[in-house]
Amino acid sequence: MTDRLAVEGVTVKFGGLLAVRDFSLRVAPGEIRGLIGPNGAGKTTVINAITGVVPLAAGRVLLDGDSVSGLPAHAISRRGIGRTFQHVEPFGELSVLDNVLVGVGRHAQVPMAHAAMATPLARRREGDAVREAMAALDRFELLTYRDTRAAELPFGVLKRMDLARALAANPKLLLLDEPTAGMSESEADRAIAAARGIAESHDITLLVIEHNMRVMMALAHSVTVMQNGAVIAEGTPAEMQRHRAVIDAYLGEEEAADAAA
Amino acid sequence: MAAASRRNAIVAVAVAVLLAAAAATMSGYPVYLLSLAMINVIAAVGLNLLTGNSGQISLCHSSFMALGAYGSTLLTVRFGVPFWAAIPLGAVFAALLGALLGAPASRLRGIYLALATLGFLQIVQIVIEEFANVTGGVRGLTVPKPTIAGVRVSEYARFLIVLVACALAVWTARNLLASRVGREFDAVRLSPHAAQALGVSVHRVRLAAFALSAAYAGVAGGLQAVVVGFIDPVEFGVSASLRQITFIVVGGMGSVAGSVIGAAVLSALPEVLRPVKEYSDLIYTSILLGFLIFLPNGLVTLWHRATKRFTRGDPAPAPQGSAP
Repeated sequence: MTDRLAVEGVTVKFGGLLAVRDFSLRVAPGEIRGLIGPNGAGKTTVINAITGVVPLAAGRVLLDGDSVSGLPAHAISRRGIGRTFQHVEPFGELSVLDNVLVGVGRHAQVPMAHAAMATPLARRREGDAVREAMAALDRFELLTYRDTRAAELPFGVLKRMDLARALAANPKLLLLDEPTAGMSESEADRAIAAARGIAESHDITLLVIEHNMRVMMALAHSVTVMQNGAVIAEGTPAEMQRHRAVIDAYLGEEEAADAAA
Repeated sequence: MAAASRRNAIVAVAVAVLLAAAAATMSGYPVYLLSLAMINVIAAVGLNLLTGNSGQISLCHSSFMALGAYGSTLLTVRFGVPFWAAIPLGAVFAALLGALLGAPASRLRGIYLALATLGFLQIVQIVIEEFANVTGGVRGLTVPKPTIAGVRVSEYARFLIVLVACALAVWTARNLLASRVGREFDAVRLSPHAAQALGVSVHRVRLAAFALSAAYAGVAGGLQAVVVGFIDPVEFGVSASLRQITFIVVGGMGSVAGSVIGAAVLSALPEVLRPVKEYSDLIYTSILLGFLIFLPNGLVTLWHRATKRFTRGDPAPAPQGSAP
C-alpha cells in the first residue's frame, strides 16, 4: 500500500544552521504517528517543511505517492494536508464560527460577482458552509462560543477551535503541533478522544507532536523520536519508553517510569 | 441575525428615499454637494475593503478614481460611448490596472507597500500630465454633459444615478463581507500563516482585493467626472488619497457602515473649512492622527458602544486597535 505520507531525506537550513538533517518518515493511511523530541529538535520545522511554509534544502515530501515539495503552502493544504498550530494563530477579530468557516473550503467557493450580489447560488453555498461549520462546532463542544471573538477565548478552547478549523478543511493527513498544550488533563482527554474519533470515522491520518507522554501512549500507534534535527529512534510508544537513546535524549529515567506506571 | 439585516435594509432604503425626496426640494448647490459626498462614500467603501479588511495600505486610491474618470470620459469624448456604459467600462479599466499593481504589491507589506502605491500614484499623475494631447494634461478635460438617447440628463436625475450607484456599492460590499470573499480578506489580514494552512491563497486574495477596491474607485471617478463636468490631475493627487484614508479611519476600519459614516461626515468638512481652505491638508492630517491615537476603530465604535449599552446594559468592551 502507498504511504499516506512519505518524507524522504528532507533537510532544512536556516542560514548556516541545519534545523532538520536528512529526515525521513513514512506514515501509513489511517495511522496515528507521534513525533517527539526535546525542545529545538526540529519537530515544528518538520511540519513547516511538509506544509510548504519553509523551503527544503534537500529531499522531498510525497502525499499518497505524489510529490508536493515546492508547491505553495495553500496548494499543499488543498491537496489534503492540514495542520494546527502550537500557538493556534487564530483570526482573532473573527467569531469562532467565522474562524471555522475559513476552513470549510469546498462548499463556500463562489465567484466574486455572485457573492457581491448575494445570488441564490451564493446563498446556497454559504448556507451549506455554515451547516458544515456548525457540525464541526458541535463535535468540539464549541457551540456556546459560536459568536465569540476568537481573541477572547481561553487557551484551551482556542486549541479546540484550531482543531475544528483544521478538520473543517477535510484533510487526508492532519499535522497536530502540540494539540493539548495549555489544556487541563480532562480537556486534553476529551480533545484527544474527539481527534481520534474523527481520524477513525473520516479516515484521516494523524502526525502528532506532543510533549505529554501520557497523551502519546493513549493516542499514537507508533512514535518517531527526533534529536538535533534527525531521527534517533522509531517504534511503538511502549518500545520508545524503554529505548536507551530515547531515555537519554528526551524522557529521562523518571518520566519513562511515570508514563509506564 | 436575519432580522437585523432586514432592519438594516429597511433603514438603508428609508435613508435613500428621504435623500431623494429632500434633494427634489433643494436648489443646485446642496444637491451637487450631496452627490459628491455619495461619490466619496463609494470610494471609501472600496478603500476600506482593501485596507480595513484585506489589511493592505494604499496611497493610490485616488489614482484608480483618476483611471475611472479619464477612462470613462475619454470613451465618451473619443468614441461616443454613452456615459452609462462608459462609467462601468472605466471601472473595469481601473480594476485591470488594480490587478496589475496588485500582482507585485500584494507581496509587499507595510512601508514598502505604501511606497509602491505612492510610486503608482506618481506614474498615473505623470502619464496624465505628459500625454496632454489625449488627457488635456495639467489644463484638464471638460466632460460632456451626460445624455440618455440624446436627451440631456437633469441635475436631479444625475443625483439619483449617484444615489443608486452609492446604494449598490454599499449593498455589494456588505454582501461581499458576509460571504467567503470577505472572510478570506479578514483571514489574510489577521493571520496569513493560518489562512494559507487552510487552503487560502494569500497572494490571490490580496490581488483580488486590489482589483475590487480599484473597481469601486473607478466607479466613483467616473461619476465624479460626470457630476463635476471637469477633471484634472490635481483632483486625483496624493491629498485625495490621504483624504480617503481619513474617511475610513474616522468612520471605522473594516466596516461598511464606517466607510459611509466617515465619508459622509468628512465630506461636509470642506464646506465648513472654506474660510481656511489653504490649511485643509493640515486639518485632515490632524483629524487622521487624532483618531488613530484616541479612537483607532473609528466612529462606528461609538455607535456600537451606545447600542450595546442601550440593548444589553453591560459595559462596552475596550476598543481593540487594528491599524494595518
